[in-house]
Amino acid sequence: MSSHETIIKAEHLVKRYGDFYAVNGVDFEVHRGEVFGLLGPNGAGKTTTLEMLVGLRKPDAGTAWIGEFDIRKDLERIKEVIGVQLQSTTLFELLTVEEILKMYASFYPKHISIPELIEDMILTDKRKSRIKSLSGGQKQRLAIALALVHDPWIIFLDEPTTGLDPQARRTLWDIVLNLKQKGKTIMLTTHYMDEAHVLCDRIAIMDQGKMIALDTPENLVKNLQSDSAVEFRIDESAPFHLEEIKGVTQIGGHKDVQVLYTDNLQETLTSLIETASEKGLKLTDLQTRTATLEDVFIHMTGRSLREG
Amino acid sequence: MRAYWQLTLAQLRIFLRNRQVLFWTLAFPIFLMVMLGSFLGNGNGMSVTIGYVDQDHSPQSKQLADILKKNEAISLEKTSSKKDALDQLKQGDVQLVVEVPKGYEKRMKNSSQNEKPFTLPVFYNETDMAVSQIGQQLVYNAVDAVSKQKADYKPAVVINPKGVEALNLRYIDFLVPGIVAMMILSNNMNGVAGQIASWRERGILRRMQGTTLKAHTFIAAQITARLMLNGLQALIVLMVARLVFDVEVRGSWLTLVSFVILGTLAFMAIGFIIAGIAKTPESAGPIAGFLSFPMLFLGGVFFPIKNMPEFLQPIVHILPIAHLTTALRETMNVGATFMSLGTEALVLGGWIIGAFIVASLTFKWE
Ligand SMILES: Nc1ncnc2c1ncn2[C@@H]1O[C@H](COP(=O)(O)OP(=O)(O)O)[C@@H](O)[C@H]1O
Ligand SMILES: [Mg+2]
Repeated sequence: MSSHETIIKAEHLVKRYGDFYAVNGVDFEVHRGEVFGLLGPNGAGKTTTLEMLVGLRKPDAGTAWIGEFDIRKDLERIKEVIGVQLQSTTLFELLTVEEILKMYASFYPKHISIPELIEDMILTDKRKSRIKSLSGGQKQRLAIALALVHDPWIIFLDEPTTGLDPQARRTLWDIVLNLKQKGKTIMLTTHYMDEAHVLCDRIAIMDQGKMIALDTPENLVKNLQSDSAVEFRIDESAPFHLEEIKGVTQIGGHKDVQVLYTDNLQETLTSLIETASEKGLKLTDLQTRTATLEDVFIHMTGRSLREG
Repeated sequence: MRAYWQLTLAQLRIFLRNRQVLFWTLAFPIFLMVMLGSFLGNGNGMSVTIGYVDQDHSPQSKQLADILKKNEAISLEKTSSKKDALDQLKQGDVQLVVEVPKGYEKRMKNSSQNEKPFTLPVFYNETDMAVSQIGQQLVYNAVDAVSKQKADYKPAVVINPKGVEALNLRYIDFLVPGIVAMMILSNNMNGVAGQIASWRERGILRRMQGTTLKAHTFIAAQITARLMLNGLQALIVLMVARLVFDVEVRGSWLTLVSFVILGTLAFMAIGFIIAGIAKTPESAGPIAGFLSFPMLFLGGVFFPIKNMPEFLQPIVHILPIAHLTTALRETMNVGATFMSLGTEALVLGGWIIGAFIVASLTFKWE
C-alpha cells in the first residue's frame, strides 16, 4: 500500500500554446508507491502535464518537484530516477529488442539485468527480433522495458494501452500491477475509465486543461450524488422530455444513447416506462447499472469521455 | 563512453541492415563511374597547357622543356616574351607559365651543396585552382627529375623514382576522385540531414532526450559511425575503379584517407545544420538537394573547375566540394603530398569548425 510520503508535487502547472491553455493551473501530489492516474478525454492536457513533469516541455508557469528536485533546475538528476514511456514514440526499427535495451542501458550510470527485464516484459521469445516485426502490444512492452532499464523510482506511462487489443491490455495491466508490487511509483494517463479503475490508487480527472476531481476511484463514484444509471435508446427525435421522468438527478448520454442518473432506480424506471408507453414510443437496449467513473465524468462535465 | 560505443554500434547496424540505402549509396556512384568512364574514359580529358618562357636558351633549359613535353598530360607552348605568356595565362589560354631566367644553366652547373636551391618562377591563375595546382605538381615533378639527375652521384637522396612519364591522365582518372567527393557530399550532407530530421519527426530523438544521454555523445557517435561507413564506401569505389579502369592512387593513402575524413566531417556538419533548420523531414531533403545539386556541378566533380563561367569562379572557390575534389584529385592523379595541399586542408578545416559551431547552436532534439 502507499504511504503518504509525497514523491511528486505539482504546483500550478501551466502550459500555453499561443493563447490556448493546454494545461491551465494544475496542482496535485503523488505518493510514493501508488499508481496515480490522469484520466480525461483526448485533448484534456494529460500528455502535456506528464511531459512537463519529465522535462520534455517547459511549463509557462508553476513548477513541480520530483523527490527534492525541481523540474526547472535539476532535470539531469531527475532523469536518473524517472523512467518514461511516451505516447508517440517510435524506436529504431532495425535494431533488435536486446540491442535497443543495451543501448538505452548504456545511457545511464547503472542498469538492471537485461535478460531479466526482457523476461519480466514477456519478450524472451522476441529478444532477437527486430523492433519492426513486433506486434503493438510487444512494442508497448518494449517501450515500458526501456523506461525501466535503469531501475527508476518513478515510472511515467502515457496511454500505455491505447490501441491495444483486450488481451494485450490485460497483459499490460498485470505488468503495471507487478511494478507497483515491487514498490515503484507509477503515474499513468488513460482515457479508459475501466483501466483507471482497475489500476489506479488515485485518479485525477482532467478536462480542458484543468483538474476537475482527484480521489480514489471508490470515492469518486461514491461522491456522485446518483448511484444508478439507466441507459436506453429511443426512436427518432420524438417529443420526449426526459426531465419529466421522476427521480432523475442528471441527464447524460452520447449519440443516440440516453443516460439518466438517479438515486431511486425503481421510481425512475417505472416513470420512464410509463411515459414511453403513454407517448407510444419504443425503448430499446434498456439497461440499468451502478454508476461508474465514466458517469462521474459525464456528471461533472456534461460530456462523455469518448467525445473528446 | 559506453553510450558512445553503443550508439556508434547502433548506427552501424542500422546502416548495414538498411539494404536499400546501402545498395543505392554504393550502386549509384559505381554506376555513374562505369557509365561515364566507359563513354569518355579513353579520351584525354585532362591536359595542362603550360607556357614556357625560355630566356636562357641553354641545353639545360632545353632539357627541362623536353622532360615536360614528354608528359602526355602537358602540352608545352613556347613563348619568347614573358608579357605575352602572362597575358595568355590571364585569358586562360595557358594554365601555367614557367619562366626559365637567364643564368639558369650557369647556376645549375656551379651549384654546390651548401648553396640554396635554384628558384624557378612559375606563374598561375588563382581562379583556375584545380588545373593550375595539377600543373604545378607536374612542373615540380619535372624539376625534381632534373635535380635528381644532377644529384645522381649522391644516391642518399633518392626521391620517388617514378618519373613524370608515368603520368598519363585520362578522363576516368579525373572522374574517380570526383565521384568519391560526390559520395562524401551526398552520403553525409543529405544522409545526415534526412536521417536526423526523420528521427526527430518520429520522436526517436525526443525519447532519448528523456534519458541522461548528452547531445554531444549522440553527435560524436554519429560522426564516428559515418566516418567508418564512408571510409569503407570510398574504399570500395576506389577498388572498383582500380579493377575496372586501372585507376591508381599515386599519392599516399594516408593523405587520401585524411581528405576523405576532412570531407566527411565538413559535409556532416553541414548536414546537421540542415537538419537543425529544417522544420519537417520533408523539407530537409529538398534543402539538402538544393545545396548539393549546384555543388556537384560547380565543384569540379564532373568537369574541371576551369570550365566554369567566370562569374561563378569566386563562389566555386569557397565551396568545400571544390577543395575536396581538388585535394582528392591531386593526391590520386599527381601524387601530391598532404603538405602541398595545405590550402585545401585549411579551407575544409574552416568549414568543419564553422559548420559544427553553427550545428551545435541549431541542434534540437525535437
Ligand atoms: N505542441 C503543441 N502545439 C499546440 N497545441 C498543442 C501542442 N501540444 C498539445 N497541444 C494541444 O493541447 C491540448 C492538450 O493536448 P494533450 O496534452 O496532448 O492532451 P491529451 O494527452 O490529454 O490527449 C490539445 O488541445 C492539443 O491540441
Ligand atoms: Mg495524450
